[in-house]
Amino acid sequence: MLAEIPTMAIDLVQIEDNSTVLADEFIAHRLGMLPLNAEGVENLFYSRDCDCDEYCDRCSVILSLHAKCTGDENMHVSARDLVPSGERISQTLGNPIISDPDGLGPLILKLRPGQEIKLKCIAKKGIAKEHAKWAPSAAIGFEYDPHNKLHHLDLWYEQDAKKEWPPSEYADWEEPPQEGEPFDYDAVPNRFYFNVETAGALPPDAIITEGIKVLQIKLAQMVKDLSEGDGDGNGAYDGPRSPEFGGGGADGWGGGQDPGFTTPYGNGGNQSAWGGAGAGGGTTPYGTTPYGGAGGSSW
Amino acid sequence: MAPARTDTKWDHSYNVTRRQKLFQNPPTDRTAYPALQLAVDPHIEAFNALFPRDGKPGLIDHALEEIGTKTYFDGDERAPVAGRNKLTIRYKSVTLQKSQVPPNNKFAKNREIFPAECRERHVSYRGKLSAVMEYQINNDDPKEFVRELGQLPIMVKSNRCHLENNSPALLVSRKEESEELGGYFIVNGIEKIIRLLLMNRRNFPLAIIRPSFTGRGPAYTPYGIIVRSVRPDETSQTNVLHYLNDGNVTFRFSWRKNEYLVPVMMILKALVETNDREIFEALVGPPGSKAVDNTYLTDRVELLLRTYKTYGLYTRSQTRSFLGQKFRVVLGVPETMSDYEVGTEFLRKIVLVHLGCVNVTEEQDADKSKLLIFMCRKLYSLVAGDCAVDNPDAVQNQEVLLGGFLYGQILKERLDELLSVGLRMALRDYFRRNLSVTFTSATFAKDFPIAIFRRTNENIANMLEYFLSTGNLVSQTGLDLQQVSGFTVVAEKLNFLRFISHFRMIHRGSFFAQLKTTTVRKLLPESWGFLCPVHTPDGSPCGLLNHMAHKCKIMTKGVDASAVPEVTYALGVADASTAPSGDDVVVMLDGKLIGWCAPEQCRSVAENLRYLKVEGGHGVPVQLEIGYVPASRGGSYPGLYMFSQASRMVRPVKYLPLGKEDFVGPLEQPYMSIACVESDIIPGDSTHIEFDPTNMLSILANMTPFSDFNQSPRNMYQCQMGKQTMGTPATALRHRTDNKMYRIQTGQTPIVRAPLHNTYGFDNFPNGMNAIVAVISYTGYDMDDAMIINKSAHERGFGHGTIYKTKKVSLKDDSNRSRSAKSIEKMFGFAPNSTIKASVQEQLDADGLPFVGRLVREGDVLCAWHTVGADYHGQLINRDGITHFEKYKEAEDAFVEEVRVIGSDTGTEPLQTISIKLRIPRSPVIGDKFSSRHGQKGVCSQKWPAVDMPFTESGMQPDVIINPHAFPSRMTIGMFVESLAGKAGALHGVAQDCTPFKFSEENTAADYFGHQLLKAGYNYHGNEPMYSGITGEEFAVDIYIGAVYYQRLRHMVNDKYQARTTGPVVPTTGQPIKGRKKGGGIRVGEMERDALLAHGTAFLLQDRLLNCSDYSKSWICRTCGSFLAVQPTVSPFIGKKKAVSTVRCRNCAKRLDEIEDLDLMKLEGEIWEDGQGAQLVGGENTTQVVVPGVLKFLDAELMAMGVKLKYKVDTKDTIHRGPLKPTAVRPSKISAAFSAA
Repeated sequence: MLAEIPTMAIDLVQIEDNSTVLADEFIAHRLGMLPLNAEGVENLFYSRDCDCDEYCDRCSVILSLHAKCTGDENMHVSARDLVPSGERISQTLGNPIISDPDGLGPLILKLRPGQEIKLKCIAKKGIAKEHAKWAPSAAIGFEYDPHNKLHHLDLWYEQDAKKEWPPSEYADWEEPPQEGEPFDYDAVPNRFYFNVETAGALPPDAIITEGIKVLQIKLAQMVKDLSEGDGDGNGAYDGPRSPEFGGGGADGWGGGQDPGFTTPYGNGGNQSAWGGAGAGGGTTPYGTTPYGGAGGSSW
Repeated sequence: MAPARTDTKWDHSYNVTRRQKLFQNPPTDRTAYPALQLAVDPHIEAFNALFPRDGKPGLIDHALEEIGTKTYFDGDERAPVAGRNKLTIRYKSVTLQKSQVPPNNKFAKNREIFPAECRERHVSYRGKLSAVMEYQINNDDPKEFVRELGQLPIMVKSNRCHLENNSPALLVSRKEESEELGGYFIVNGIEKIIRLLLMNRRNFPLAIIRPSFTGRGPAYTPYGIIVRSVRPDETSQTNVLHYLNDGNVTFRFSWRKNEYLVPVMMILKALVETNDREIFEALVGPPGSKAVDNTYLTDRVELLLRTYKTYGLYTRSQTRSFLGQKFRVVLGVPETMSDYEVGTEFLRKIVLVHLGCVNVTEEQDADKSKLLIFMCRKLYSLVAGDCAVDNPDAVQNQEVLLGGFLYGQILKERLDELLSVGLRMALRDYFRRNLSVTFTSATFAKDFPIAIFRRTNENIANMLEYFLSTGNLVSQTGLDLQQVSGFTVVAEKLNFLRFISHFRMIHRGSFFAQLKTTTVRKLLPESWGFLCPVHTPDGSPCGLLNHMAHKCKIMTKGVDASAVPEVTYALGVADASTAPSGDDVVVMLDGKLIGWCAPEQCRSVAENLRYLKVEGGHGVPVQLEIGYVPASRGGSYPGLYMFSQASRMVRPVKYLPLGKEDFVGPLEQPYMSIACVESDIIPGDSTHIEFDPTNMLSILANMTPFSDFNQSPRNMYQCQMGKQTMGTPATALRHRTDNKMYRIQTGQTPIVRAPLHNTYGFDNFPNGMNAIVAVISYTGYDMDDAMIINKSAHERGFGHGTIYKTKKVSLKDDSNRSRSAKSIEKMFGFAPNSTIKASVQEQLDADGLPFVGRLVREGDVLCAWHTVGADYHGQLINRDGITHFEKYKEAEDAFVEEVRVIGSDTGTEPLQTISIKLRIPRSPVIGDKFSSRHGQKGVCSQKWPAVDMPFTESGMQPDVIINPHAFPSRMTIGMFVESLAGKAGALHGVAQDCTPFKFSEENTAADYFGHQLLKAGYNYHGNEPMYSGITGEEFAVDIYIGAVYYQRLRHMVNDKYQARTTGPVVPTTGQPIKGRKKGGGIRVGEMERDALLAHGTAFLLQDRLLNCSDYSKSWICRTCGSFLAVQPTVSPFIGKKKAVSTVRCRNCAKRLDEIEDLDLMKLEGEIWEDGQGAQLVGGENTTQVVVPGVLKFLDAELMAMGVKLKYKVDTKDTIHRGPLKPTAVRPSKISAAFSAA
């Protein structure tokens, strides 16, 4: 819900004219942070999966902004002034979210008299793993076992735990532990409380369902991989990975990697790498010490 | 009714709308942050004192009086004076104008030059300095003329600056900050300040024991009395009394960097008409008093009087004539002066000048004599052990040398020099060329001011500009200072905190920086309330570079204390004309002895005076310092020392009997009882109470939240780091062209702040961000002061910063000043008819300058220029058709922010200089440094994805994770409290007051903020249960999490990383050069080598020290073992092109022409030839070895010293390994033989 639900966000900004006090990249960053309507985003391609060269109507939504301050008061440019253009999958997808009573949306920048801003934004589909601007939600509250019956946690207190730890807002939903109730060490958490707050792109319930959907796809993929791949354990996954231990000689690392617990001096035991002809482990590489007598024996 | 005046009261809350209004509509009446201006005022007022406008004489006027009249004679210099014409000349006045466009500029409509323009144009902000001089030939009528002395740098916001008393609104319209402070100079576009220096307290005889005094001569002892005597023009002359073994006292002074010693008796007798009896009684006491029985004193005074008899000088005129005769050459006085007059001049210029240095009256001479006798008494008392040494390192005995005063001193010396040395040289030169001319001739009258002054170095202002830009003092006299360099520093606008602390810093003097002892650096209790105990850097300047406590002021003017002597007499002090009786103590005002008083009475006099001064209206100014030193056994020399003059530090405290504000100085403070807080008041003892205990801290130290909870060094570190933070340096960024400027893009106001944060208007210059900080050991990437940043927080802008760099491109050759400004050799733009690559044309505009907003990469062109020359019509044309380009050389990508086209002063030159401001975005990367406000710095080690960050039950994720191990040893409890307060403040939407010393054991901070947290539904102690972001499991313990203000420090990896495989090397050794900029290596030094050895990583060692360094293959002779005797053979048949074929050893070879009975058939080996064509044979036993390049260098160096190195490389030379060959004597026998011996 935090990282992998696809949403829309402005990804590319082509600035044509910028005489504002803010730097280009700073405005671009602000634009990226604007929440865009992501309902129906599943019908949009990821840009990387699309056939087009850079972007097209099937993988992006184009928004343009052109504002010039002609009055003698400072002008506010807000999300409302972003105008979607081009063919779109739906009329709402990619629209800036405007939820304030004045219908202005988030403030992008302010213009002094005479200043002008003209730019074109390309909004793309993406997930928050890549960049936080694609996050559909601000924070997800998560809690279980409000009375700490399972003792997963040691609540630290100085004098009185009751006084120092205020009850959770879900405490009323569960039975408080009875006086002298024996600790049930077999119990497992079975009730989880979520608190979802949306950033605006999707309604909270959609975030939940989308989240479940993403989870399902992930699990399904895993099940598929596990059942399909005999011998080719990592089948579908072709990203970088660490070499497997003891995976036989034919894993591309050439000539059987050692298991990792032998020394390069081979032949184990207490023999040194120096041929080990001497007595015990106390021989020097020179076989004998320079002070007469056989190595080690004269000491 | 007029609109309400801008409110200047501030509390600790956010005041968002109020600040917004102030920012959008800067007030037109006064600033809302007067405290800021107060912090800088000493600098400005000191400058204003030079040329005041209130009609009173300024420091320069006093200086001109002291310079006096110079006299010259014409004709032969060796001839007697009689019969030669006399010219006397003096300064009437010196004036400084405001900055203006020079008159030869015909274009400028607005003739004023504002500081902002100077900054942008990289020039100095200065005004015309001119002098009115008056001269008289023989006894004719005096004539006046005016000379211009150049353009003198002006202090911003001083009374010669256009910005003086400007309202914030006006300042903004003049392209300044709304809260522009001034107090600095602009030299070549750089803001420079003269830093404050600690000096010995003026006009106060200090008792000193210094072992180096014994080096003055035989019989000299370490005992001395030093008085730094200050003239009304703020120049000073130090007088020292030395005690000699036999009881004698010598007077020492230095004049033009030479030291002179005079018996003190001679000075005493020269000052006033006196006799031995008077002197004896003045030194010892009236006959019949107790002191006469003090044989220790009487013996010495007797000896003093007796030894002086050898000079045979009895009267005042005799003595003065004698002094005059001796010092005539030293003082450089005109020949017409009699010896007596020279003696008088000597006393005027050198002896206790604070009591009179211009037209000295008899009365003033008597004052000088009285003070000298007092000094002798103190010296004898010191030697006898009756009084303690005064510590010159304690603030008690110090005052501050203000930049403006120093500036005036230099100006005075330059003015003096122009009239004495400069004019003398010019006149001598003039008469040498015009032999027949005299002062009275008409030619001279025609030439005198203009032609002759033109030959002097009259551009005095230029020398002051040099002083400001380098900080070096070029002076004949040394100005009674202990250093010659380091007077000025750049007021760096790295962030606002750093900028403001420049004005509050006080340096002890660079002389003390070299001292091995640490005594000068110690924090002494005397400095309480004057110097901040926290705000001093660690490292070499520790304790030498201090900062003023934020309420400490420096007096820039003397206060009117003319009525004080009368008041003291009314309180029972005996007039100074009477002799002291018994153990009476002295009453002094500004180093002038005004009376005597019994010790027991002295206390009540001091107390009464203080009451009168705080009450006001009795002629006793409130800033008067009443240093009552009680009589004690072996303590400081008792007396009542009052000071009213400038340069003193004072600070406000509350006077309890009246409940009013009193100002106390450092000399009186140790003898007073000032309670810190209400509970400290001791009835019957405490007279004062601090207004606030935080008054003892500097501005910066006050910004550390809850600093009373921290271990003290951490607060010191924070004062350092606060100054290194990437913050907001200025709001008028558009009009600044600093070489390098750091700016944070997403600054916030701290939730936890002191009320002073608002008072000083720091919200106009945010310095960091509020971050949610979890104290948890997570992932291991937070070990060792590393910190993990939430990747999403980073992507949302946490800590995003920018660097602005300004690059000036000037086509004028600065090194070649002699050529006139008219010689234009280069111009911007593409050369006409030259072909320009399309790739370059894309980067530049048609005028050859870059586009604003363009991205520049390494190697991109910044601008284009071409050479020009004048054709027959004087038109500048290009002849070669070649376009040259200025390239961007740095590796980092930047954007062109601004391009400034800079014209010349006259407005007639074509474009010669541009300045390009580049913007380099610096988003935080791994390796960048951050810190909280508690000296807890850390390096970002990972940008951890938000999904994998731990989260609380409400879904909160930390922005920053730090390791709990950062706390136990550092004990920065203040950071915990800040976290707690920040969390509560964020939850309730309030700003939290973090002033130190507000909580106590009964009323703890933890309880105060704990209750707030509990009310918001959080744990009392700020802990929360958290879940692992990776497994989703609940942590077994609850985690301390809260909001802490984080600063991003300017140290960034992008400026520091260094990597090298191969690259430039030092030619002599073949080893890599050093320096990151040049692509050099990092030294693997001895200790690193030791570490590698200890690890047994021999291969790595070889790789670092040889292969990646000065690996070289070298030829060596196996027979003689020399690198240097080998040489390549030269084949006589093949050209030089051929590579080295064979290498032979010249040492082992024999020249054919030196072999007797040469028989070619019998020679062994080939014949080879060297470069000179000599034929040799032999030396074939050479081979190639790998050695470090320096080894050969060492070999060559040693050879130059006649040392030969021989390397054994042959197999037969190998060290024998294996059983030793049996020797004749068995080892046991040898040891036996030794033990027998």
